[in-house]
Amino acid sequence: MNHPALAFRNLRRRPARSVLTALGVALAVGSFITLYGLSRSVQENVQQSFEERGTDLTVRRRGVAEPFGGTMPQTIIPEIAKIPGVAAVSGQLLSFAATDNDDHVLAFGWAADSFYWDTVPLLEGGLPKPDEPKAALIGKDIARTLDKHVGDDITLLGEKFHIVGVTNYSSIINRNAVIVELADLQEVTFRSGAVTFISVKLDQPGDSGEADRISNAIESLGQFTVTGSGGALQNDSLIGLLSAVSSAMAWIALLMGVLMVLNTLLMAVLERTREIGILSAVGWSKQRIMGALVIEGFILSALGSAAGIVIGVAGSRLLSAIPAIGRYIAVRPTPGLIAATAVAAIILGILGSLYPAWVATRASPADALERA
Amino acid sequence: MSIPLVDSKPLVALDHVSHSFDNGRIVALKDVSLAIHEGDSLAIVGASGSGKSTLILLLCGIRVPITGRVLWKGNPVTDAQAWTDLRRSEIGIVFQEFNLFPTITARENIEVAMFGTGRGSRERRRRAEAALDTVGLSARATHLPHELSGGERQRVAIARSIINDPALILADEPTGNLDSVNAAAILDLLFEIKRARGATLVLVTHEPSYAERCARQIRIKDGNVYEQQRANRARKEAM
Repeated sequence: MNHPALAFRNLRRRPARSVLTALGVALAVGSFITLYGLSRSVQENVQQSFEERGTDLTVRRRGVAEPFGGTMPQTIIPEIAKIPGVAAVSGQLLSFAATDNDDHVLAFGWAADSFYWDTVPLLEGGLPKPDEPKAALIGKDIARTLDKHVGDDITLLGEKFHIVGVTNYSSIINRNAVIVELADLQEVTFRSGAVTFISVKLDQPGDSGEADRISNAIESLGQFTVTGSGGALQNDSLIGLLSAVSSAMAWIALLMGVLMVLNTLLMAVLERTREIGILSAVGWSKQRIMGALVIEGFILSALGSAAGIVIGVAGSRLLSAIPAIGRYIAVRPTPGLIAATAVAAIILGILGSLYPAWVATRASPADALERA
Repeated sequence: MSIPLVDSKPLVALDHVSHSFDNGRIVALKDVSLAIHEGDSLAIVGASGSGKSTLILLLCGIRVPITGRVLWKGNPVTDAQAWTDLRRSEIGIVFQEFNLFPTITARENIEVAMFGTGRGSRERRRRAEAALDTVGLSARATHLPHELSGGERQRVAIARSIINDPALILADEPTGNLDSVNAAAILDLLFEIKRARGATLVLVTHEPSYAERCARQIRIKDGNVYEQQRANRARKEAM
């Protein structure tokens, strides 16, 4: 018999309440892992997508709210290419495009001379030939989803494109993207001469001072924002809003879990006033009585956290299984996020048990013992 | 009338202690001085609500006097933590209501009183089993309180009260919830333990025949404490 065993027995006294409280903590932890994982995965997946294509700097229109809405004139590309230290520049137009079967895909438009073409990993087929009209490469996942193969046609915004190759990218965004010539995508999206992102390769990509100098030079050309490849959506207000909402919901869920622990233990303290008086009568100090309650809080939040990890991982997989999400974002909570959430939930659970524990020690043992 | 504090150092003593409730409207004890020496057996009698339980709670520091002092081995004890330490090591309390924890077994109920004594879990278990043996309940060690009879529960409570070898056993109407057969058995057990361990016993009771088994009797009436004359049988029990 020890303190944890005693605490466990006390929790078993009201099994339904204890299980429901632990379940509440589990849902809170699971929600936190899923929602926080979602908001972080958006950034990570975009970063992976750019990194896979060998980008050092990404140029965007400054102050644009939506990720793919802000465009820049294609004419800026030669200006950037003139900046010393710039190895290559490529414009890219992005668009969510209606496709076959009332589905949507993410379409990339690359200029014919883009360095992107040099690094395309092909699973089957080949690259579009120069001046080959309406040719498309499709990612392996979207090929499987839409059951498309080399030689088939794919519709983008009502225009048919001929599939010439299937790419073998590893990042989820690239695996689900359709790549066409920039001019073709500009034509079907009515964005003639416009690009969404400009990717820059540097002569010395590891030199941060050089990267800063070039970034400043690009930004001095007009209303542009330059970031590293991972920061392409760093200042995007929609992504920021998504992150803020997800984070807020995640924290609210976690705090509700803590309140459940607090409420459960407070009820337990009120029910067990007499027993707390007996503990005092047999020589338990206030600190020991507080400790016993805190251990109950720890057990509830630890069990809830353990179950919450399972719920969080399962929830993330479920989110990824929803086509509208899973086609562009692989919601994968990192071990660091899982561990940090579990530890935070346990610490918050312990903090939530402090008030009931304090209430327990405030009760007069005499009043408690004389209570019938 | 109060019983004057004797010169020699008693185990526990009240020195001009008064206590009241409801902002002084209900007076429980008036300027009471009482000395209880090591090895004493003292019965506290009086009508319901006369202040018997209040006196017991004052003797173990669970209640604090409004005025006056409580002394342990001649030293005034005013610190709550000091009283907690005394209840853990020197004072065992038996209640009328048994006051066992319902979710743990008889043996574990006894072990709970050893938390904070520095004994390891094996030692706690061994001593709890020995205490159960002392009260004749070895076979019921793993039973939950609701699986025990009233008499058995009170035996467990007694075992819990003596687990740390207290110098003072305070028994607040320990037979109040028992039938006469069990009550007599519990009383026998308490006196047997008192004799075997040389402990001091303070017994609150309504039953004159039980009170007579103690070497001393005091009666509480209107907040005052009156010493009763000793009975021959009591002298025998106290020896």
